[in-house]
Amino acid sequence: MTTTTAAPTRPRISLQRKRQRYGWFYVTPFLAIFALFFIVPLGYAAWMSLFSSTLAGGSQFAGLGNYVRAFTDPLFIGGIGRVAAFGLVMIPAQLIVAITAALVLDTLATTLSKISRLLIFAPYAIPVVVGALMWSFLYSPRFGPASTIFEWFGMAAPDFLSSSAIFGSLVNIVTWQWAGYYMIIVYAALRSVDPAIYEAARIDGANGFHIAMRIKVPMISSSMVMVITFALIGTLQFFTEPVVLRSMAAGAIDSAYTPNMYAYALAFQYSQFNYASAIAFSLGILVFIGSFIFLFFTRKQSGLK
Amino acid sequence: MALTTNTPIDSHTTTTGLSSRINRGAGRANRLGGRRIGSHVFLLILAFYFFIPLWWLFVASTKSTGELFGSPAFWFADITNFATNVQGLFMHDGGIYWRWLGNSFLYALAGGLGATILAVLAGYGFAKYSFRGRGAVFGVVLGSVMVPLTALVVPTFVLLSEVGLINTPWAVILPSLLNPFGVYLMRIYTQDAVPDEMLEASRIDGAGEWRTFWQVSLPLLRPAIVTVFLLAVVQQWNNFFLPLAVLTDPDLLPVTVGLNRWTALSNAGAGGEQVWNLITSGAFISVVPLLLSFLLLQRYWQGGLAIGSIK
Amino acid sequence: MKNRLLASGAAVAVAAVALTGCSGDTQASCTNTITKTDAEQVTVWAWYPAFAQVVDLFNETHDDVQICWTNAGQGNDQYSKFSTAIEAGSGAPDVLQLEFEVLSSFAIRDALVDLSEYGANDVRTNYTDGAWEDASSGDAVYAIPVDGGPMGMIYRADIFDEYGIEVPETWDEFADAAQALKDAGAPGVLADFPTNGRAFNQALFAQAGSTPFVYDSANPQEIGIEVNDDGAKEVLAYWQDLVERDLVATDDAFTADYNTNLVNGTYAVYIAAAWGPGYLGGLADADEDAVWRAAPVPQWDTANPVQINWGGSSFGVTSQSDKPELAALVAKEIFGTEEAWEIGVDQAALFPLWTPVLESDEFAQKEYPFFAGQKINEDVFLEAAAGYEGFTFSPFQNYAYDQLTEELYAMVEGQQNADEALDTLQDSLEQYATQQGFELLN
Repeated sequence: MTTTTAAPTRPRISLQRKRQRYGWFYVTPFLAIFALFFIVPLGYAAWMSLFSSTLAGGSQFAGLGNYVRAFTDPLFIGGIGRVAAFGLVMIPAQLIVAITAALVLDTLATTLSKISRLLIFAPYAIPVVVGALMWSFLYSPRFGPASTIFEWFGMAAPDFLSSSAIFGSLVNIVTWQWAGYYMIIVYAALRSVDPAIYEAARIDGANGFHIAMRIKVPMISSSMVMVITFALIGTLQFFTEPVVLRSMAAGAIDSAYTPNMYAYALAFQYSQFNYASAIAFSLGILVFIGSFIFLFFTRKQSGLK
Repeated sequence: MALTTNTPIDSHTTTTGLSSRINRGAGRANRLGGRRIGSHVFLLILAFYFFIPLWWLFVASTKSTGELFGSPAFWFADITNFATNVQGLFMHDGGIYWRWLGNSFLYALAGGLGATILAVLAGYGFAKYSFRGRGAVFGVVLGSVMVPLTALVVPTFVLLSEVGLINTPWAVILPSLLNPFGVYLMRIYTQDAVPDEMLEASRIDGAGEWRTFWQVSLPLLRPAIVTVFLLAVVQQWNNFFLPLAVLTDPDLLPVTVGLNRWTALSNAGAGGEQVWNLITSGAFISVVPLLLSFLLLQRYWQGGLAIGSIK
Repeated sequence: MKNRLLASGAAVAVAAVALTGCSGDTQASCTNTITKTDAEQVTVWAWYPAFAQVVDLFNETHDDVQICWTNAGQGNDQYSKFSTAIEAGSGAPDVLQLEFEVLSSFAIRDALVDLSEYGANDVRTNYTDGAWEDASSGDAVYAIPVDGGPMGMIYRADIFDEYGIEVPETWDEFADAAQALKDAGAPGVLADFPTNGRAFNQALFAQAGSTPFVYDSANPQEIGIEVNDDGAKEVLAYWQDLVERDLVATDDAFTADYNTNLVNGTYAVYIAAAWGPGYLGGLADADEDAVWRAAPVPQWDTANPVQINWGGSSFGVTSQSDKPELAALVAKEIFGTEEAWEIGVDQAALFPLWTPVLESDEFAQKEYPFFAGQKINEDVFLEAAAGYEGFTFSPFQNYAYDQLTEELYAMVEGQQNADEALDTLQDSLEQYATQQGFELLN
């Protein structure tokens, strides 16, 4: 990209080179903050993760001992398995809601559709903590709406906070919170597609569904990659919603329900800061590998040329 | 970059996107006439699902603690209690709730603004200069979103307490200036919106690098700047765990942490205090500003959110 | 438009930052106003709202030391903060409110000062044996007791009357009452058995003689663990039976549902601590016809009654304090006057452990409007407080509670019986203790 205007003479090249150094001038302020509030704490945490300290035994250098322990810790492995399961359900759920809504919205230009669009997006404006708190009220067997609604059909409401239902209850909260945001991203991408393409397809005899599936969906693939990346990282670092629900369902959601919760509990409730750092790092490594693989396979769409 | 298929939503770079978009709504509506009822029903069902919890919050904000636990969840009991609750928010702990709300505004605006400035500069630098080490540095920045926050809480706390900033507004604002995703968005957007030819032309005219950025590039970046700012503000408005860890003084808390404190206090046994009515009304009032700004600023964020998907 | 939007946002933000930047001196960010600015200040973390008045009272009556109070969050929120400060090496206050159950957990991290070096034993006589036992470990005193949670039984006399239920004095009668209530067709149940009851469940076990931990901070590396002793197993099997017969609920404690059930008559009985009435009082406008009464907690053996405790708090001095002597003075004196306790009892519904108030006629004869004038202290809680002999918590109590909750939940879900639940708990705690470097005594 930057070589397109390069001239063949020597002085011009060195000038060009010199100018590229200005890049540092623009990125330095950000990098300073990045170093201060990311690299330094990260390095400190990495250092901490190399020590093992126990309540009664004191602290000593353990090398990679904490990591060996982490990857053989059934609680950590179990949490990884759980977020993997969440990913398999939650990401498609959010994606389906977001894409369907966006595709439908794209075909309408009525006031009603505009209002719907806003309402679907509205939960994004709710802080996650407040959103989860609201849902925990709504899930309540006694004064949540479920009992009333199920009564209309003569059925007993399920206990949303029981160990068998909690998975679905969490998927619901996350979908509610984020699907609207993803929908807007996809919708905006759809609006930027040149409609001349649809006209051409229609002349060729394609119907609305075909256009949606064969033309629109492929056209917005790069925005979908972005949405999936968000959802993937969000899922692997799943934390706030289960923590809030745990205060109402301590039995169904244990302190190691997700790896991030486990790291938090280890550090702030069980005073095992060193092992907690190792758990958080191990999770970070897994998130990194997961996202890297995903982005590698979708590198065309993600814009990381 | 294929303009015919992926036109930037804020179609300042091309006019085809804009004009065809205008034609489109009408043409398509006619064609799909029969399907519109089905589509609307589908949308209404979705909207209902997304709206009903908000409705609950609104209704709950009009109830006393007793009514909250003793009356139907989705309808008003005694609506005048909303006034009582608001009054309660002014009375309780000397009206500390409003202070929390103000803090949230302060942290969100200051953090959002700072993060945006840094992201615009960095995004521009990454997009338009191929300095040595660019790829590696950008990769590290992008990779940073993968690291769980829990790993950084204790070291950040140590760092802030070393420089004496713990339990000050800076402890929340400074770390929030870090917004790698904003940098990513700005880079992607700058790559497309600011043509190299234009920069070259400006340079040939004798403008320095900074003036080129300020006068030529920055105006082209406005839509993305607004979007990154809005996203950063929302992110900071929702911030919970950092302020929870680094702030102690009740007067400094943002509204998310403050409401959480009231919840803990209401659930506490000995010496606690039941303020559920203040929690629900406080939560409702706290989501109104953001909802309103989304409503009023639709034009900006809706277009801007597509940035990441444009090339 | 876009320009103006950005510009106004920028102006607001910059102005706001500038404002707070100017007032950036936050070292002494007290919630209370200190008038005697010359005196030395002791920083205190505590979460009771009514504490504000107690602080003002202390500051008015002291000239050489002033309390700078901050509410750093309730219970676990405050502990997380304290824990981070310990790890960071700075950031802790001089004095902080601590529930008895966490004292050992902080003491083992060298986060608390042994107050016996600062005259704690001078005020020893002002507290009951049980309270002092809870605040100390061996010879070390890690905190000065404030309020306690001697347990009793709060019940709905109107529901008891309606279904012809006698007030149970033993756990056998309690089970019979539960059955009778169900047979009589009552819509609710007799009581709740919360699997997240933590200290509540532990107290019930202790009543049958369970002593889960043997620990003395003089030998911090040694611990005895026996959470599956006969007493615990007997009690848990009893509750498992009630759960299986649907005679009690198994709702989580301290949730909105639990609150509702407490005040709307779904539970006819609330096995409660002395602070329970205060907790109920905040909710009670739900059911106006409710008639509340207090009675002693049921016993396993009426000939040898055992009193138990649920909750309560104390003031400890942190090892980060640079003025431990003054801090210890604050811890000793803050709730060491009748005036302070007037606030504590009337405003915060605290149950005092300070004997000049605890053993006063006035406290015994206090009539509670919530109980239609019943003298619940005289009838129930004074005896419970006097009979309580103390409890030894583990130095990893939070972990132990979390494990207990998991096992109890698996039990009420029908995955295991009471014996299995406690045996599993025993195994996991032994494993944890070993891994944490403890030497097991048993």
